[in-house]
Amino acid sequence: MFLKIIKNDFLRNKIVTMTVYVFITMAVILAASAINNIANLIQSISDLQESAVPADITVMHAGEYNQAEIDQFTERYRDHIATQETMVLQNIDGSNIHFGQNQTMAGTIQDISFVVQNKKFDFILDLDNEKLDVNEGFVAVPIYFMEQHDLKIGDTITVKSGGYEKEFVISDYARDFEMNSSLTSSKRFVINQNDYDEMLEIEALELEYLIEFKLNENGDSAAVQTAYIEAGLPANGPIIEGKIFTMFNAMSDMAVAIVIIFISILLIVIASLCIRLTFLATIDEDIREIGVMKAMGISKKDIKKVYLNKYRVISAAAGIIGYLMSFAAVNLLNGNMRLYISSDLSGSLKYVLSLIAPLLVYFMIVMYCQQVLKRIDKISAVEALRKDSMERGKNRKYSFPLLKNKFFSTNIYMGLRDVWKRFKLYRLLFVIFIVCTFIVILPLNIYNTMNSPEFSTYMGIGKSDMRIDLRRTDTITEDFKKLQEELQNDSDIEKYAAYITSSYQVKNAEGSWDYMNIETGDFSVFPLKYLEGRAPQGEAEISLSFANASKDGLNKKVGDEVVVKVAGIENTLEVTGVYQDITNGGKTAKAHTSLGVNEEAVLWYIVSMDVASGVDVREKMDYYQNTYDSAQVNDIKEYTGQTLGNIIDQMSLIVIGGMAIAVIIAVLITALFLRMLLSKDMSQIAIMRSMGLTSKNIKHQYMAGTMMVLILGIIVGVLAANFLGGFLVSMAMSSMGAAKIQLVNVAWQTWLLCPLALIVVVGFTISVCCKVTAEDDLSVVLRS
Amino acid sequence: MRKILEARSINKKVDLGKENELHILKDVNLEIEEGEFVSVMGPSGSGKTTLLYNVSGMDRITSGSMKFKGREIGRLKEEELAKIRLETMGFIFQDINLLKNLSLIDNVMFPALVSKDADKNAVYEKAKKLLELTGIEKLADNNVTQGSGGQLQRVGICRALINNPDIIFGDEPTGALDSKSTEEIMSILAEVNQKGTTVMLVTHDVKVAAKTERVLYMVDGNLVAQKKMRKYDARHDDIKEREESIMKWLVENGF
Repeated sequence: MFLKIIKNDFLRNKIVTMTVYVFITMAVILAASAINNIANLIQSISDLQESAVPADITVMHAGEYNQAEIDQFTERYRDHIATQETMVLQNIDGSNIHFGQNQTMAGTIQDISFVVQNKKFDFILDLDNEKLDVNEGFVAVPIYFMEQHDLKIGDTITVKSGGYEKEFVISDYARDFEMNSSLTSSKRFVINQNDYDEMLEIEALELEYLIEFKLNENGDSAAVQTAYIEAGLPANGPIIEGKIFTMFNAMSDMAVAIVIIFISILLIVIASLCIRLTFLATIDEDIREIGVMKAMGISKKDIKKVYLNKYRVISAAAGIIGYLMSFAAVNLLNGNMRLYISSDLSGSLKYVLSLIAPLLVYFMIVMYCQQVLKRIDKISAVEALRKDSMERGKNRKYSFPLLKNKFFSTNIYMGLRDVWKRFKLYRLLFVIFIVCTFIVILPLNIYNTMNSPEFSTYMGIGKSDMRIDLRRTDTITEDFKKLQEELQNDSDIEKYAAYITSSYQVKNAEGSWDYMNIETGDFSVFPLKYLEGRAPQGEAEISLSFANASKDGLNKKVGDEVVVKVAGIENTLEVTGVYQDITNGGKTAKAHTSLGVNEEAVLWYIVSMDVASGVDVREKMDYYQNTYDSAQVNDIKEYTGQTLGNIIDQMSLIVIGGMAIAVIIAVLITALFLRMLLSKDMSQIAIMRSMGLTSKNIKHQYMAGTMMVLILGIIVGVLAANFLGGFLVSMAMSSMGAAKIQLVNVAWQTWLLCPLALIVVVGFTISVCCKVTAEDDLSVVLRS
Repeated sequence: MRKILEARSINKKVDLGKENELHILKDVNLEIEEGEFVSVMGPSGSGKTTLLYNVSGMDRITSGSMKFKGREIGRLKEEELAKIRLETMGFIFQDINLLKNLSLIDNVMFPALVSKDADKNAVYEKAKKLLELTGIEKLADNNVTQGSGGQLQRVGICRALINNPDIIFGDEPTGALDSKSTEEIMSILAEVNQKGTTVMLVTHDVKVAAKTERVLYMVDGNLVAQKKMRKYDARHDDIKEREESIMKWLVENGF
C-alpha cells in the first residue's frame, strides 16, 4: 500500500523527486569521497611514516661539525634517544642544475641538496614507498621538482659548478616524508655514494648537516632539545620536530577535503529546501486529501508516514548509490595524495569511515522532513476540506498599492511586489542564489588573496618590490656586508632594509628556556600590518607572531614582558605588537636592531628593497642574482607563490569547480522553482488571462520577480563572501598563524564578472522556464 | 442594430484521451445584437457555460465561424484575442476570481493599468466612482478575504467595467449569492445594459433570466429554443409574470 502511494507520488512529481534525489546523491558522493580521502590520508600517512621512519628531532646546522660530540650526547641521553644519524647535505644552488633545453632551477625558493640514502632511519622512498637505492650515474628527484619542471623518469639533469660537470639520469621520484611539502623549504636529491664522493670536490659546495634523532617510545622531545642546546652542540639552523612534517604532508589534502565537505553540506541544505518547496507546492493540492484522511479517522502519525516514507526511500536509495559512486569519485581528488604520500590507497579504513556520510545524510533528511511535516498537525479535517483554508485569516496591512508605482510598468511591478507578498515562497530561491554566489566568490577571493602581493602580510613580511635571502654559507656574513654596501650606492634602489634572523633563548610560560627565532632590523622601512599594537621601534621592544603570542606559544599580550637571553645576558623586552605569520610554523618574532645579534646562531639574512620609479625590477633582480651566487632573489609575489605552491593550484581547481556547481545548482533550482510556482499560480494566471493579459505580460511578471530575487541574492552572496568569508578563512588559518585574513576582492570580478555570468545563465533559464501556456482553453482552469 | 456576436455552426469537442471524445457544442448558430441583454439557460451539462467561453474567445471553437463585431475571432492569435478581451470585453464569474494579492480597488484598477499609456490617476478616479456606484467604496482598501460574496461580486463587476467594454459575459454571476445580493447584482447589470453595454449571462435562476430580454435554452449542446421579451422595466413590468412566462416556456421545451 505504502509502496503504491510512493510510486504514484513519484509519477506525479517526477522532475521534483528526481532533482531532490540527485541533490542528495551528490551530497552523499561528495561527503563520502571527502571522508574517504581523509581516511586514505590518515592511513597512507601512517604507512608512509612506517616506511620512511622519519626523525623525531632534526637539527639543521651549517659550519663546523664534530660527530664525536654528538655521539657523546647521544650516549648521555640514552633514556630518551634510540638512535642518531647525521645526514650530510651537499647544498647546490638551483642555477647550477641544468635540465631540458638550457633550463636551470635558478630562482627556486627551495634549498636544493644532494644526499646519500640514510642507513638507520629518515629514508627517502620511491613511489612504491620502498627505500631508494640509486645506482651510479642516476638520481632520484624530489616530486616537487618533477612536477614543477615536468621532469620524467629517463630525463637527465646536469650539475655544473666551476670545473665540475656531471650528467645524471633520473631513475626515480624521491618521496621524502620530511621534505615533500612545498611548505618545507628544502628538497633532497638522492644519488649514489660514489657520485656523492665525487661531488665533494666542488669548490663552492656548502655542506649542511641534518643531525637527526629517533627517540624511544617514552622519549621526551622537549627535554632532548633543551639539553642539546644547553650542551652547546652545533645548531645554527632551526630545530624541527617530527610532528611538523606530518602536518605539512597532510595540509593541502586536508584543506581540499574540508572544502568538499562544506560543499556537500550546502547540497544537503539545498536538497532540504527543495523538499520544503515540494511540500509547500503540493500541500495545497494534497490538503483535501489530508482532510479526507483525517475525516476518515487516520491518525496524524500515519498520514505523516505516507509523506515521510517517500523521502525515506529517496534518501536510502541516494545513500547507497552515493556511497558506491564515491569510490569512483574519490579518484578525482586523490591525485596529489597518490603522488606525494602513497601510490597504494587500498586501506580498508575508508570503507567504514565513509559510511558516516550516507547515514548522516539519511538522518538529516528524515529529521528535516519530520520538522516540515509538523504543518500537517495544524490542519483540521474541516479546514482542509474548505477551499483556500491556508490563505484565510491573513489580514495583513495592505502594502505596495498599484497607485504607488511610479517607476515600473504595471506587470513588472506586479512581479516585484509578489516577491514581497510571498517572500516565504521566494525565500528558497533567495537562499539558493546567495549560496551559489557564495561558492563562486569565496574561493575566487581566496585565490586572489593568495595570488596578491598583500598576502605577504600573512607571512610576516612587509610589502616591498623584491627581497634577497642569504642562507647559511661560509661567506654569508661577508656577502651580507657587501650587499648592503652595494645597495647603499645603488641609485636604482629607492630604499632597503636588512634583517637578520637568529636563534635566541627565551623564557617560556613555565619559566624555563626555549629557543625562538627572532628577526632583528628596522621594521619602519617596510611596515607590516599589525593585528594589535605596532612594530618594535627602539630598545627593549619586541613583537610576536600570532601563534607565538597565543596560548600554545608564549601566551603574551601587547604590553607584557618577554625575557630574551642575548650573549648570555638576560634582556627584558616589552611586547609592542602582534602580527600574522604562517611561515616557519607560525612562531616568529621581530625586535629592533638594538637587541643585538646572536652571532653564533644566525640563521639567515634578508634584505627587502624597493626600486626607484622607472627601474625594471626584473633586470635588477637578475643583476643581484648573478652577483650573489648564494642569494635567492625574488619578488614578493613569486615568493608567496612558490611557498604556497600547489595550494594555489588546488585553489584554482576549486574556483572552477565552485563555479560549475553554482551554475548547475542555480539553473536546476530556478527551473524547478518556476515550474512549481507556475503550477501553484495556475488559477491566478488564468484569471489574469481572462482579463486580457497576454502570456507574455504574465511572463514578464514572473521574470521581474525572479530576476529581482537573483540580483538581491547575488548582492547578499557577494557581501557574505566578502565579510563572512574572511572570518571563515581566518578561523581555518588561525592554527597556521594567520588570525585575521582580509580577503582580496577584485571588484570587477566579484561585482561584475561573476554576477553578470550568473545573471546571464539564470536569466536565460528564467526566460525559458517562465512559459505560460497559452494553448489551453481558459475555462479548464477557471472552472476546475 | 449591429451584431456584436455572430456564431455560425460552431462546434466544440474535447479530447479525453483513449479515443474518447466529448462533443459539447453541436452546430450552434447564434446572433447577439449590440445593447442586448441575453441569458442562457439549460440543465447541468447542457453546454451553456461552454457556449459562453467559446463565443467570448476564451476557449477555442473546434469548427465553425465565430465573429465578434464582424471580425472572425476563432483563429486569432493569443495576443490579438487577449487585446480584444482587455479592451472590449468584461467577465464576471460565479467564483468571482479576484487576484489574491491585490486590494479590492487594485483588483478593479489592474486591467486598466496593464495598457502602456494608462493615466494612473484617471484610472483611480474611475475605479473609485465604480465602487461608489456599486455601493462598496468603503471597502476599497480591503483584502480579497475581507468582504461578503455579494460585495466581492460587485468588485468583479467593477473590474469588468473598468475598460468600458462593449460586452459583459457573466458565468452564473449570482450562482453563489443569496436572493438579496442577487437582486442587487442584477439591478447593477441592468443599469449597465441600460447605458448601452451588451450583457450575456449563463444562469440557472429564472428570476435572473426574467430580467433579461432574450432567453436562450440549451439541451445537450444544442441551442433548442429562444424566447424574446421586452426589455425589463421595473416601473411597468410585473416580474412575477415574466418569471411564470419563462417557466412555462421552459416546460414546453422539455425542461
